[in-house]
Amino acid sequence: MPCPYTPTVRPLGQILGRPPCSPEARRPLRSRHLQFPRGRDGGACALHAQTLAHLRSAGDGRSDLRGLLLASLLSLACRPAADRPAAAAGPLSAVDDAGRTITLAAPARRVVSLLPSFTEILFALGAGDRLVGRTAWCDYPPDALAVPSVGDGMPPNVEAVAARRPDLVLLYHSGSNVTAADQLAGLGIPAVLLHLDRLEDLGPAARLIGRLTGREAQAESLAATMDSLASQPTPARRGSLVFVVWDNPPIVIGRGSYLDGLAALAGARNVFSDVAAPSAQVSLETIAARDPDWVAVLSDSAAPPAFAARREWRAVRAVRTGRFLNLPGSLFGRPGPRSGQAVRELRARLEAGGAP
Amino acid sequence: MDHRVSAPPPILRLDDVRYRYPAAPRDALAGVSLTVRSGEFHAVLGPNGSGKTTLVRLALGALAPAAGSVDVLERAAHVWPRRELARLVGVVPQREDNLFPQRVRETVLLGRYAHLSLWGAERPEDHGAVERALAACDAAHLVDRWLWTLSGGEYQRVRVARALAQEPRLLVLDEPGVSLDLRHEMELFELVRGLVDREGLGVVMITHHVNLAARYADAVLLLADGRPAAAGAPADVLTRETVERVFSWPVTIQIWDGRPQMIPLRQPKEPA
Amino acid sequence: MRWVALGAAAALALAASVVLGPAAVPLGELTRSDIVWSLRAPRAVLAFLVGGSLGVAGAGLQALVRNPLADPFLLGLSGGAGLGAVLALATHLSGPWALPLAAFAGALGALALVYRLGLVGGAALDPRILLLGGVAVGAFAAAITTAVVSLADAAELRNAFLWLWGGLSAASWDTVLVLAVYAPLPLAVLFAAARPLDLLALGEEPARYLGADVERVKRRVYLAASLLTAAAVAVSGVIGFVGLVVPHIARLAWGHQHRALLPAAFIGGGALLVLADTLARTVVAPRELPVGVVTALIGVPIFALLLRRWTIA
Repeated sequence: MPCPYTPTVRPLGQILGRPPCSPEARRPLRSRHLQFPRGRDGGACALHAQTLAHLRSAGDGRSDLRGLLLASLLSLACRPAADRPAAAAGPLSAVDDAGRTITLAAPARRVVSLLPSFTEILFALGAGDRLVGRTAWCDYPPDALAVPSVGDGMPPNVEAVAARRPDLVLLYHSGSNVTAADQLAGLGIPAVLLHLDRLEDLGPAARLIGRLTGREAQAESLAATMDSLASQPTPARRGSLVFVVWDNPPIVIGRGSYLDGLAALAGARNVFSDVAAPSAQVSLETIAARDPDWVAVLSDSAAPPAFAARREWRAVRAVRTGRFLNLPGSLFGRPGPRSGQAVRELRARLEAGGAP
Repeated sequence: MDHRVSAPPPILRLDDVRYRYPAAPRDALAGVSLTVRSGEFHAVLGPNGSGKTTLVRLALGALAPAAGSVDVLERAAHVWPRRELARLVGVVPQREDNLFPQRVRETVLLGRYAHLSLWGAERPEDHGAVERALAACDAAHLVDRWLWTLSGGEYQRVRVARALAQEPRLLVLDEPGVSLDLRHEMELFELVRGLVDREGLGVVMITHHVNLAARYADAVLLLADGRPAAAGAPADVLTRETVERVFSWPVTIQIWDGRPQMIPLRQPKEPA
Repeated sequence: MRWVALGAAAALALAASVVLGPAAVPLGELTRSDIVWSLRAPRAVLAFLVGGSLGVAGAGLQALVRNPLADPFLLGLSGGAGLGAVLALATHLSGPWALPLAAFAGALGALALVYRLGLVGGAALDPRILLLGGVAVGAFAAAITTAVVSLADAAELRNAFLWLWGGLSAASWDTVLVLAVYAPLPLAVLFAAARPLDLLALGEEPARYLGADVERVKRRVYLAASLLTAAAVAVSGVIGFVGLVVPHIARLAWGHQHRALLPAAFIGGGALLVLADTLARTVVAPRELPVGVVTALIGVPIFALLLRRWTIA
């Protein structure tokens, strides 16, 4: 199952002894916090780029056929998030997205969160004081930075997690995390695997976390907000955009991904919403022909992206006229309690003509 | 005034040449001298490892001698530019690769490389040289055949034709008769002798076939362990004592057609 | 006659590449369309130049190392280019030309290493040492690349592998100009070496006796072929099979004489890559396949056919 972030490893700064989450230090063009979108229909999973890149990185690229085969097999295996069945009555019981039943004697008091979104949810529920471990990418809210990091979470460092003596661990539902969850269960630590690819996943995730931490009321109100956000009617169109994730070769965000959902709610039309995959490689001429009003990139800086200077990209009108939407990764790259804020900001920018 | 016509310079002259391969325990050649003029057929004989192929490499300037001199037309061999040297000396090496299928015409045409300009195409005189070379080797009828369809003897004649296409003045053959049957080897020697007599080529032939060398060559150089054991007319070189010493085998010498022929004996005697 | 057919095929491929594409441009508007002039036309020309360079480099290298299975990317250049690209991304080098220049520098580094290896112990560019050294240097560079990717911020680095995969997305008239100025010299060196390469097929010693300056030819062919390949990788990533398969296809019709083979490999390689790129852009429109996948899908069956011919012949 897809991994939430594109990065898999520690930032170089950590190796060199600098704190990993110093705010503006060496921010890459695209935020590390990008959650890789996943298709709603479970057809082409976002896994494709991830798996392919993993397999390709192994060699000179002749493994692409294997990679394609593996990606297509995995995409067949992707299923939409199932509704969580009501769990059996007990002190505190729930069934997670992997179908595992978790039972806690009492609300969790020491929680390790292995996804920035879960960290945010926890704090939004008022349970932030129970956080005892977070990933290196969890940078919001600022209070989270005071909590010790247990690594980048990909794959989870089970020893570091266990060293925090948690009574609940929150994991994103992916293949390698299933292994980690099993290992934690073997150590007697309850681990929960949750989908979190789209806005629609936020409500159920908030409810389950609330249930397990005894903050059900707060969770219900958060979930209600998230659900209503997700089911908001699409406002009137305020222009079209293309999300460019990579420039050479051009990779854009397609339908059914989180960013695509955000754009729709903000009133922007993704010119590639006809592409069923969450992300896809396209020809530059397609982008130029579809003539989006805006080019959206995940970037923490306000400067135009590097590819804007390249001659071939200037065939795209929005690049020529400098109409870029630089979306900070922390806010826009992950579904979470601030998604509503993200939508409002995006809408405001579209109305204002793009300037932040 | 002195009206004597001065003798033309020898095409090839090795003078007291010494050479040792890198990291080798002993010299490959030492104290070897050889002078070849037009119309002379020199044979180089000797047991395995006696330095015969090294001699060819030195003569062609592929190696530079550690001592002594190697001159082609009075100029040091390794100084000659490759193309010019190839217009003077044609070589039929012991081995060559055959990576791609080729026709006889194409492979003989390769011999014209030294005469062609960098970008220019083959000219009529190049094709003419190829035809003459093939005719001289009695291989004209093979011109459109694929190389891999030729017999050993035919293939060898084609290789000689390639060397002749260079229109050289000196022809060097390195063990050309190896793996040829009786008829083809005889034909080869006849061919070479004919080239010497008709065209006035100089020839240096390395061969194992002592008896044929004795009958066809004008002069023989016998090498042993890199040093010259004897040099001169066949009758002077191929004496029983010399041959037995060099080849470490008892022989008897008989004269056939005015040339010494070596006949190995059956029981090996203890070396004297 | 064959040349006419080859020229026609190339012209047809170029025309198709300009006319066809995921963005529907009506025929009548072709000449006025910005997409066609700014994107498709330079891309077609770049594909032709890159494919042609790879074809000639492949033919030259196959003759140099006397191995019909040689491919321009056997000499460690792709590993070096990948390492250069990844280092550029990991250190956040800025500028639109940062990536191709870094890849080129990486390829040159690999070239220098393999060349140096080929000279060790007086080996004088022994083909076997070139091949083994290329594999070793390529593997070494790939290992360092993996290490860099695993230690650094990998968001862009993973996508860098998509770049390395081969693609002509970065085609613009600027890129075409750079390659058009750069390529003629190594191409000329290779074309000039056509006859000596024929001689080299007999072996180094026979070639020397026929008048070829073997050491000089080997050096020049190796450097020219590698420089062409390095430039191709820098602008378009690793596009496999063109350098391997195109010389063999050309030999089927033109034989082994390099004076005809090299130009045929150039035009044939160019036409093949233009065709592959057109397919890559149109087959799954609006999405795009990496062109290296298309050349592999075309090249592997052809290669299998060729192998069959060899083992039968």
